Amino acid sequence: MQHPDEGTIHAWVDGALTAEEAAQIDAHVKDCAECAAAVAEARGFIAASSRILTALDNAPRGVIPAAAPAKRRLDPMVWRIAASVLVLAGGTLVVVRNQGTRGTQETASTLTMDTSGSVAAFNARVESTHAEAAKPNPSIGNRVDLPTLTVPSMPKPAPTAQKSAAPSGGAPARRVAQAPAPASVSGFLPRTAVVASEGVAADAAVGSGEPLKVIGSPQRIGANVTLYEIGGDTVTLAESRPVALSGVVGSDAAAARMQVELRGKTAATRNNVVGQAAGAAQPVAAQPVAPPPPVAAAPVEDAARPEDSNVVHTISWVDPVTRNTLTLSGRMSEARLQLIRLRIEKERAAAKKTP
Amino acid sequence: MTDVERLFRTYNTALVRYLTRRLGDRDWAEEVAQETFVRALRQTSIQNERAWLFAVATNLVRDEARKDSRRRKHLALLAEQERESVVEPEETGLERAQEAAMARKAVDALAERDRLALLMREEGLDYNEIAEALQLSPGSVGTTLSRARRRLVESYEALQKDGEAREKHAAS
Repeated sequence: MQHPDEGTIHAWVDGALTAEEAAQIDAHVKDCAECAAAVAEARGFIAASSRILTALDNAPRGVIPAAAPAKRRLDPMVWRIAASVLVLAGGTLVVVRNQGTRGTQETASTLTMDTSGSVAAFNARVESTHAEAAKPNPSIGNRVDLPTLTVPSMPKPAPTAQKSAAPSGGAPARRVAQAPAPASVSGFLPRTAVVASEGVAADAAVGSGEPLKVIGSPQRIGANVTLYEIGGDTVTLAESRPVALSGVVGSDAAAARMQVELRGKTAATRNNVVGQAAGAAQPVAAQPVAPPPPVAAAPVEDAARPEDSNVVHTISWVDPVTRNTLTLSGRMSEARLQLIRLRIEKERAAAKKTP
Repeated sequence: MTDVERLFRTYNTALVRYLTRRLGDRDWAEEVAQETFVRALRQTSIQNERAWLFAVATNLVRDEARKDSRRRKHLALLAEQERESVVEPEETGLERAQEAAMARKAVDALAERDRLALLMREEGLDYNEIAEALQLSPGSVGTTLSRARRRLVESYEALQKDGEAREKHAAS
């Protein structure tokens, strides 16, 4: 027979030929040295290629991205932890920035105010009349209202704060007073979370992009007066050096009432200031909110009425560094004034840093 | 045991190895193998199971495997069980990594038909099955295989010589 070709030899070695064909090749190879060598070579190629192909079996996984298996989803716990870290970081940032603007002492009192804990005190405030909601509290001021607003709406704190801060937002003060069961929420939340929520809300509202413009600084004896324009509204900031107090005046009637109330409370406020200066563990706001004195319980003009934003409101506070009293007034709600106050403090701090 | 489970247990190892050698990626290979068994599920009858499976797998590689995650889940579970029973080769050392790289190059240098025929043969497919899977005439499979083996070994040896020459050059 003719010498079989290489393909046939491979087929013979692979046992792919019929019995008849195989017998013919078998007989030929026995007598043909050339074909015997070809058979030996074929066996060598078969063994070698098997060995070479075996080297491919240690192929890595996921070499081709398109074919890679679905990515493992992160454990929800990981997301929770990440979210907490973010919130904490946000809160810390706000605290640090506050330190820059208001000083450490003020920051400490702000922290305590938010969480002073005091579910009972908070309940007392919530359960009191609308007039009480608008009643000025010299030691706490309106700042407490920010967490009140933001805590019940933890997922979206900023819009809530902004909404209530908007002049056309109806009756923000009333909303504050009627906020549903926030006491239990704030009591349940860890301190840092409450602080952070306030920080985030206030920060978002203040930094909401409304341009703050100084439109004048009229001369007034004993005070530096600056007129600001923000979002189409005009506010007046007066810086003077009277007795240390911080308070909120909701309306003319409330202002009159406040004068009465302050007379009785000045001593307590002074004590608080002394305690703060001495580094006492309980800053001003840690003092439980005193139940409203009888004189304040008398029905006064409801500051939370719808035309609230059309009345001139004034908020005052003491600069912890200079001890100067700052008074901010404008024809808008108190909540908005508070936000503008934060904004102005930020601007002033920035101006101090880069004179 | 359902029919597809039997098919899977009988052919999965060989099919994955074939595909791994073909694709160079174990995950991809397993994915295509699973898709192949999913396709087998839809088939009412298969004449030559092994040839059919290898042919479908080969076509899937060509056409990009489609996903069928629900059914694949069950097969992935079976694969998991199977993997546990198979002793994975030890981590490759540098020398083995070099061998693998050269083998990959040599295999990639082959013509597609030669490469597939060779890989199928390595998984035990007979000439008729290879012919069926690759739509060749049975008489040409021997020629295809002999050419593939010779070229593979020659390319590999050439790469080996290149590597040795480079090592010598680096040493001198």
